[in-house]
Amino acid sequence: MTADSQTLTVGVLALQGAFIEHIVLLKRAAEEFPTTSNTTAQRPRFTFIEVRTPADLALCRGLIIPGGESTAISLIAERTGLLEPLRDFVKVQRMPVWGTCAGLILLAESANKSKATGQELIGGLDVRVQRNYFGRQVESFEADLDLSFLENGPPFHSVFIRAPVVEKVLQSTSSLPATGNVVTAPTKRPTDAPVEILGRLVGRAQTIRNKTANAEALGAEGDIIAVRQGNVFGTAFHPELTGDARIHTWWLQQVVQHSRLTQGV
Amino acid sequence: MATNGTTHANGNGTVPTQSTFAVKAGLAQMLKGGVIMDVVNAEQARIAEEAGACAVMALERVPADIRKDGGVARMSDPAMIKEIMAAVTIPVMAKARIGHIVECQILEAVGVDYIDESEVLTPADPVNHVDKHAFTAPFVCGCRNLGEALRRISEGAAMIRTKGEAGTGDVIEAVRHMQTVNAEIAKASSASDNELRLMARELECDLDLLRQTAALKRLPVVNFAAGGIATPADAALMMQMGCDGVFVGSGIFKSGDPAKRAKAIVQATTHFRDPKILAEVSMGLGEAIVGINCGEMRDQEKLAKRGW
Repeated sequence: MTADSQTLTVGVLALQGAFIEHIVLLKRAAEEFPTTSNTTAQRPRFTFIEVRTPADLALCRGLIIPGGESTAISLIAERTGLLEPLRDFVKVQRMPVWGTCAGLILLAESANKSKATGQELIGGLDVRVQRNYFGRQVESFEADLDLSFLENGPPFHSVFIRAPVVEKVLQSTSSLPATGNVVTAPTKRPTDAPVEILGRLVGRAQTIRNKTANAEALGAEGDIIAVRQGNVFGTAFHPELTGDARIHTWWLQQVVQHSRLTQGV
Repeated sequence: MATNGTTHANGNGTVPTQSTFAVKAGLAQMLKGGVIMDVVNAEQARIAEEAGACAVMALERVPADIRKDGGVARMSDPAMIKEIMAAVTIPVMAKARIGHIVECQILEAVGVDYIDESEVLTPADPVNHVDKHAFTAPFVCGCRNLGEALRRISEGAAMIRTKGEAGTGDVIEAVRHMQTVNAEIAKASSASDNELRLMARELECDLDLLRQTAALKRLPVVNFAAGGIATPADAALMMQMGCDGVFVGSGIFKSGDPAKRAKAIVQATTHFRDPKILAEVSMGLGEAIVGINCGEMRDQEKLAKRGW
């Protein structure tokens, strides 16, 4: 699987969860990839691979961490010797990475409501997420989102399955004490990129929440369900379950941009 | 995958739509590539979570004990299910008897993440399965063949598993059921529309669902293997046959070193195509479940025969 210099290899972490769905949508996004007539750049060619080992990861110029069970993914990554290579990929090499749902949890520097003995995180996003924020499966839902980064087109129909939210944007990765059942990721090379809020679930979800609101990020603005900090992008929902490839297309453009900047591919 | 055809007018300011088929089937998609373990108390649930289980099945007795004890097997005590739900952060499933609508209503009220309408318990209805569309909680059901799988899906099941032969530690029935489903899907995929009509009659299933299956070349919902999986090699075998994940019932907590075996089966399910890793995780696991040879069982002892 040696990729030539004209081919961008993008991986989907395939330890557990809905990774095939991401690969299917990435392939669609690659077919629909916009080509701009005013540049000399050719339409990029992509290879999409399932990542299960450090050797698979080493081939990748971008990575999606899919939905699944974040505890299971994290434990399997640890036992497969992938946790440190993943941290290196995200926080030292600063490759483009996108986490959906469980992936967002793993990419957060801090998460609460984790299992009794804690949970290893990869980190990369200076945010604290709350796991299973909306409740158990019977509280899962579908909703239409207005995502400004998609520029135009209809609202993005999305599915939230036992979903987390970003409950707090943190100051920096420097010193995060782990207290109670809040877990944190180990610090690597700090970034000065700001945390951008790219999507909110406006007010509505509170009507179906079964718990009292406590996050400062709440209020009239709504729950934070999409964030980006430099190379790391996270969504609380599952674009891979909708059949709508717009976010995948947008993210692949970020991967291409990053690759052109760093490698001139 | 299973999200086709569900459109929801849900503009700004309206309440999000809950309990749609896409939401029910969506959780099953998140469980893929994972291992769901039978547990009988909070302590076992924590061991399963630490091992990397993607969900647990809360029940009072594992199938091997249900077999041994005999008598009527029913839904577990809701208090025990709640205890397990409080002990772990991963999804918790629980079993109801086939056709027992009220057991399902109770499990939904308790708040379990998935209901297994299961042949492992004693059936409560001699002719019908539960109408699963009527529930907000999603359902998983067992099957031995494509007809059975599609009948359960048309009743509202959002996830399917093979029946296998629970509590035996013998994988042969799970293999048989997976093979049968695969062969029937292959046949449907190469069939003309007229042949599909005939096939739907033979399999006693919904024609539209059969057409959808033929087009997808797989079941329209997530399909796990279950019933008799006892080793990492068994789990990888089922994954290589094309299932989406595995249930391990008696195989873990009826073995010599449950924590170690549970971890090994989780690793084997992820790395199911990598014999080197499979060899590594298969070493020194201690005693497996002793088991019952399915070939020596009488028909009336087979749990898989339950369900219609």
